[in-house]
Amino acid sequence: MGMKEFVVRRIGQLAVTYWAFLTILFLLFRIVPGDPTTMFVAQGLSGEARKEVIENLGLNEPLHIQYVDYIFQVLQGNFGTSFQYREPVAGIIVTKFWNTIFLMLGAITLAYMIGILGGALLAWWRGTDREIVGLLATLVARSSPTFWTGIVLIMVFVFWLKWFPAGGIRSVGADYNGFVDKFVSVDFLYHVALPMLTGAIYYMATPTLLMRNTMLEILNEDFIKMKKAEGLSQYTILYKHAVRNSLLPIVTIIALVAGKAIGGQLLIEVVFNWPGMGRAMVTAVSYNDYPVAMAAFFLMGSVVILLNFAADLLYAHFDPRVTYE
Amino acid sequence: MTLLEIETLKTYYHTETGDVHAVDGVSLSLSRNETLGLVGESGSGKTTIAESINRILPENGEVVDGSIVYDGVNLTELSEKELQKYRWNDVSLIPQSAMNAFDPVYTIEEQIVEVIRAHRPDTSKAEARERAQELFEFVDLDPERVTDYPHQFSGGMKQRAAIAIALALDPPILLADEPTTALDVIIQDQILERIKDLQAEINSAMIMITHDISVVSETCDEIAVVYGGRIVEYTDTETVINEPHHPYTMGLRNAFPSIAEGDQELISIPGSPPELVNPEEGCRFADRCPFAEEECYEKTPQPREVAEGHVVECHRADEAEELRPEANKKEAWTEERPKDAAAGQEGYSND
Repeated sequence: MGMKEFVVRRIGQLAVTYWAFLTILFLLFRIVPGDPTTMFVAQGLSGEARKEVIENLGLNEPLHIQYVDYIFQVLQGNFGTSFQYREPVAGIIVTKFWNTIFLMLGAITLAYMIGILGGALLAWWRGTDREIVGLLATLVARSSPTFWTGIVLIMVFVFWLKWFPAGGIRSVGADYNGFVDKFVSVDFLYHVALPMLTGAIYYMATPTLLMRNTMLEILNEDFIKMKKAEGLSQYTILYKHAVRNSLLPIVTIIALVAGKAIGGQLLIEVVFNWPGMGRAMVTAVSYNDYPVAMAAFFLMGSVVILLNFAADLLYAHFDPRVTYE
Repeated sequence: MTLLEIETLKTYYHTETGDVHAVDGVSLSLSRNETLGLVGESGSGKTTIAESINRILPENGEVVDGSIVYDGVNLTELSEKELQKYRWNDVSLIPQSAMNAFDPVYTIEEQIVEVIRAHRPDTSKAEARERAQELFEFVDLDPERVTDYPHQFSGGMKQRAAIAIALALDPPILLADEPTTALDVIIQDQILERIKDLQAEINSAMIMITHDISVVSETCDEIAVVYGGRIVEYTDTETVINEPHHPYTMGLRNAFPSIAEGDQELISIPGSPPELVNPEEGCRFADRCPFAEEECYEKTPQPREVAEGHVVECHRADEAEELRPEANKKEAWTEERPKDAAAGQEGYSND
């Protein structure tokens, strides 16, 4: 099977995954307890008024009709109208989504960079004091909750050193021309640095430890000894050969780390007052604002699904032994 | 002319139970164009000797004493960094199993180009690629397949590719560590032939490591028989095969079939190789030797020249003429001797 066919088939699987995902999402919000009308209908109001609200929101239709409507709307990119704000969901959520994505992917990328280089070094330093210190640091980072790490970072970098702002996403009164400018400006980087670092510290342990274990295995392989016999420099052997061969399992767990990151995101957003999806999700769920909550879950779920998809394609790229079957 | 001179080399592996004296006072010399065979059982220390030369020992291995002089330079005194430029450029290696000798994520060509350009930075990529193709032709591989990944090659092809990359820089010394054990007999023969031809073509000397005495007798000029980290017999191939002076050499010869001699019973050497953790005084082969006497257990034999260029480490080397016919008899090796009767060791057959 060729690469093209593999990609096409993988896209087919992607579609099936999405269908299952949407279905679960739809059912989930119908099963959970809570009644969206309580938000609009004051206590003591007549049953008549309540019925009207339900009809307005389209909740009087049978479940299967709602389901079909929902799927078609999502396919058209229409996430409905927020129960709470009475505005289109897209408008409420899109900016927040990008705010979160940039923060999250930034943190994951940073975590991966630290993890790959750090894990490689830990393996290279096997049996030395440096390895023990490094392992300890990794485990401490892994065990520290993000809200704690975040507060410590704010204490050090904001209050003591005064290097970074305490929160928010951009300076008051800052002006932007368009989407790219918004996220590639110095001002944005200045604001994103601390929350991104907080996330990276939390996410980096998994890639670091996995990298270290894989590297230890790879360093025992015959070909590493051969590369040494070939007179290549330690640096070349370590990074060009050992690290390169250890990347495969690391690539596989991208989606796992991303899944974990979505959970960790909320606390970071609260600590750093970040206008992102994490907070939007919690608010939407507590107000039974189905459309917003569903859209939020849909987007975050999509991130995991798409990263998984990317990992599969990358895997084939990283290991020539992988055949497209 | 001497190219490589190894003198009283000692290489130990540091372990929790003590130091393993894997190589314990070995002296060898290698001339230009010469092929030297290192023969011995698994665990005798022959690979450790080779790995000491370009210092690719496992992490706990260390050259603790002795010198390895190549081209006037004592390699044991060089730092890791200084040694790097000698590796492959001067001493290259054909590994025992080429199955995992290549990095699986790069093509063979990329790996050949990498090693050429690591040592000769002036070489352009195109030149290095050309050289890679030339090397493939050298070892009878299709030059077009040089851009394949290692996993696309069969075992025999990988072994050829390993030879190709070993020759990439025309090294004066080739270390061949059981280069054919992983292959079937027919390919084995072809590859040995090819190695010999190529060696003649690029004028390199070779150290051939093997446990197969028939391989060395075909390819080597001189043979050093390694036992328990020491060289017990060292002379030209002819003499080792026809007039062995050390009982271990005699036993080793018995353990291998010879087609020429027709119906012949193989005799294995009982017992197993000696424990090399802090070895005691005395001949290391004494426990397994049918001719061991009291002296053998008490005093370590020192190398002795029994004829010109024929060095033997055995207290009874002078009686070799009388011992040889005895050693050809099966009873000599199977008869229980007081020393090992209690141990009830099983016969050890050379693999």
